Amino acid sequence: MRANVRRLWTRQISSWRHAIRDKDSSVNAFICTSQPGSTSPERLPLHGAGIAVKDMICTSDMATTSSSAMLKDFTPPFDATVVGLLREAGADIVGKLNCDEFGMGSLNIHSVHGPVVNPFQTASSSSTPWVERERRSAGGSSGGSAAAVAAGMCYAALSTDTGGSTRLPASYCGVVGLKPSYGLISRWGVISFADSLDCVGVMAKSVAATKRVFNILNARDTKDPTSASLSARETASKQATQAWPTFALSDLRIGVPQEYFPSELSQEVLNPVREAIKSLRCRGATVVPVSLPCTPYALSAYYVISSAEASSNMARYDGVQYGLHVPAPPGADLTSAAAIYTQTRAAGFGSEVQKRILLGTYALTADAFDNYFLQAQRVRQLVRDDFNLVFRVPDVLSPRTPEDRPNDQGVHVLIHPSAIGTAPPLGALDADSMATYVQDVLTVPASLAGLPAISVPLVRKGEEWPVGISIVGQWGCDEMVLRVGHFLENLQ
Amino acid sequence: MLLLSCPSRTSLLARQLRRAFHDQRWPGWEVVIGIETHAQIKSRQKLFSHSLSSSLKDPPNTNVSPFDAAFPGTLPKLNQECVDLALRTAIALNSDVQTRSSFDRKHYFYPDLPAGYQITQHYAPIALSGKVYIPGRDSPVRIKQIQLEQDTAKSSFDPRTQTSNLDLNRAGTALLEIVTEPDLRSPEEAGAYVRALRAILRAIGASDGNMEAGSLRCDVNVSVNEVGKPRGTRCEVKNLNSMKFMQAAIICEARRHQELYLEGAAVPQETRGFNEDTFETFKLRSKEEAPDYRYMPDPNLGVLFITRERVGRTKKTMPELPWETRDRLVHIYGLSEQDADILLNLDAEREGHEGGAVVYFDRLCKETRDPRVTFNWMVHELLGRLHAAKLTFADNPLSSSQFGELVDLVQSGTITGTSGKLLLREMLADPSSSRTPTDRALNLLSASGGELDVNELCAAAIVALPAEASAFRNGHKNVINKILGWVMRESRGRAESKNARKYLISLLEKTP
Repeated sequence: MRANVRRLWTRQISSWRHAIRDKDSSVNAFICTSQPGSTSPERLPLHGAGIAVKDMICTSDMATTSSSAMLKDFTPPFDATVVGLLREAGADIVGKLNCDEFGMGSLNIHSVHGPVVNPFQTASSSSTPWVERERRSAGGSSGGSAAAVAAGMCYAALSTDTGGSTRLPASYCGVVGLKPSYGLISRWGVISFADSLDCVGVMAKSVAATKRVFNILNARDTKDPTSASLSARETASKQATQAWPTFALSDLRIGVPQEYFPSELSQEVLNPVREAIKSLRCRGATVVPVSLPCTPYALSAYYVISSAEASSNMARYDGVQYGLHVPAPPGADLTSAAAIYTQTRAAGFGSEVQKRILLGTYALTADAFDNYFLQAQRVRQLVRDDFNLVFRVPDVLSPRTPEDRPNDQGVHVLIHPSAIGTAPPLGALDADSMATYVQDVLTVPASLAGLPAISVPLVRKGEEWPVGISIVGQWGCDEMVLRVGHFLENLQ
Repeated sequence: MLLLSCPSRTSLLARQLRRAFHDQRWPGWEVVIGIETHAQIKSRQKLFSHSLSSSLKDPPNTNVSPFDAAFPGTLPKLNQECVDLALRTAIALNSDVQTRSSFDRKHYFYPDLPAGYQITQHYAPIALSGKVYIPGRDSPVRIKQIQLEQDTAKSSFDPRTQTSNLDLNRAGTALLEIVTEPDLRSPEEAGAYVRALRAILRAIGASDGNMEAGSLRCDVNVSVNEVGKPRGTRCEVKNLNSMKFMQAAIICEARRHQELYLEGAAVPQETRGFNEDTFETFKLRSKEEAPDYRYMPDPNLGVLFITRERVGRTKKTMPELPWETRDRLVHIYGLSEQDADILLNLDAEREGHEGGAVVYFDRLCKETRDPRVTFNWMVHELLGRLHAAKLTFADNPLSSSQFGELVDLVQSGTITGTSGKLLLREMLADPSSSRTPTDRALNLLSASGGELDVNELCAAAIVALPAEASAFRNGHKNVINKILGWVMRESRGRAESKNARKYLISLLEKTP
């Protein structure tokens, strides 16, 4: 009996490792794979689950590069808290996943390891061999995570999400992607892009699998100063249960924010999203239009804040303590730290990272600070206020909420498309165009407000590429968001 | 010429200066000084990591965590012990503890700053508007703000190998930055302020305040103007690590500014360094070259909330502060100000008061001993003996109860003062003996021949010194001292000199 279980387990693990071996050369999701370890005890909750980890999350047994030349051979001296939790739960960490350099990008094309190719193949083109499928972007920055799940190379993947880096690739690759409430999952050991926005995300093929992994990671960590307190977690989950005690669709109020249907939204996204909302209503949910008027300003606020924090976080990569070091050329002024650092930083950072460092550095200069950084912080608060006005559940973190009384007219969750289009073809991409930033427009507000958001794939037929639909809830309502995601999954 | 940093002279000088309203060194000019002090906090661990705070004795790069080396993925965790010591400092400096303060990142690129930024409290410091009282000045020196921040690593350049060496032991150690308003008016006042601050930091255990070891460093802002005219342009002299250098830097700046003004030139606002060989300041950078530190609220650390209850609890655990101790020594014990300062200065060189001179003195006086007699025994005899042996008060091997017993033996007349001194010498030579001072005193008595018969000794003295005896009888009254000396020597100090003298005189006058 025991031997059977073990064989089954071994077969499962090797199916992921087989898939990596067979498929990854045409996907480029993995940066490195681990050696198969010993079997974990079956009583453990993630026994038998092969999980891959975005390369921005530290592993002590594998290099952690953040897809940057700067950290090409860098192996951290510790495991991230999330990696430790997965190992303790019996998961097999199968490898490290490609991403945009330091998480900066929406298409996973800014990687020293090369772009990730979306593993999706439309139903109607199945006569073409899979490896010769249309080459489209997997989305970013967690493109490797989404692609690895989509291609069956792991049970689930850890991603990060600063402004949509989990939800966008989930949408492009047709998998589930959860960005939990800010502060629920520990960031200790997660390489910072913008600390006030960074979240660890979970990706899997189903909402149930996503939830299974999320439950393991959802724990207070005293090593992370932004980890939510136990009392905040308890209050939020109590409020959520109070607001939706029956878990029935007929008791659910869903808001459709009008600002999330911009003119750039493509028809191939709009139609299936409308269908999904219609069928939710058919099953008894109350669907109401809502307005989040500050949404148009969110993107610029996001770029100022995230770039400012990024410029600060990238300052440590100077070639002195670890990572890439490019020696100064002969004759250089050895007394000037700047002259020496320039060599390493010019060679180590890719163009997108350099661009954001410059933008962020400017936003923090004495002359620009008030007009950019502080202004962006004010917009961020307005975005939060927008959400608090429409949600039924009060914001337990904000002292601005007038009372902890539920707002009866408010909605439980918001629903909107995850992206303005389907995965763009890799060849046609103009890395510098504004369009690549506009992709983030639908995902950034939840990041600014620290809210839980999940992207669930909608069913596709024939020539259709994956489309994701997003559910956003109040802070701490991750359970609720997952539950609604589960309903959406079952509609189809 | 440099004025030495001697406390009693400083306060006297400061008082004289105020009376004259101008300094003899630059008559008609006023020197305005503000000081920024960086004091290393004496916490077990660093400000945001678990690595231990280092001492200079630790080999390089031994107390370093991944966070201190700014490894990616690491996050800061505020050490509450540092917050408590900052709170104690804020309370001791009579400042307003802020219920909400926060941390900011100050950015610049230098190898001694692994993260490329220093975490400090730029926008919302932990305490504002304090006061420090210094000797010889009625108005307090105002403290603008107190902030918590990280120290940098130490980099040193080896000219022989043309390489830089980095030691991360100090990286991330907690610092207190204490900034005064421009309230100081002379290098001596500046010195008195730093000494007062240092004594406070030591008394509350916040810092060991050792300038030579770099745990207390000063930046001074100096401007000069003609008396009655508006303030001049200020220049900052950075990183002064001794009292002497700080005062020399101020004098040098005062002269330099004055000379520039006398030539009709302007003083450019700049940051300057101090050359410890030439005792002169030199230009580091002008205002235009000043770096933009791009201060940004730290996105990880959030708001540091300090409740009134926490401030209240801290207040209850505060030790007596140096000026409070001084007050008590003078008013309760009746010591002179000078004597009080002697005790305080003994403690000023050490951290915390446990085992310090004032505590020792308090314990001695607790048992209704006369404070002034006790002081004399403690400072003139005990400390004198220790100094003669090139020891300090910290090396004193005698417990306060042992020493107190000795003082009591003398005070009660059981032994004479001279015997007391002899006993002290013996106790210091063998402090670990289990015998009590009283046992020792009895021993001392018996060792020298049991019960002392002073009358017999006096008679023997007259026999032993016939020439002196007859000289006395012939009217040379002063010779009595020589005969008395013989008695005292023979009694090994046990004889009571007044009685012995009286008896000698009566004997000499009785017999021809």
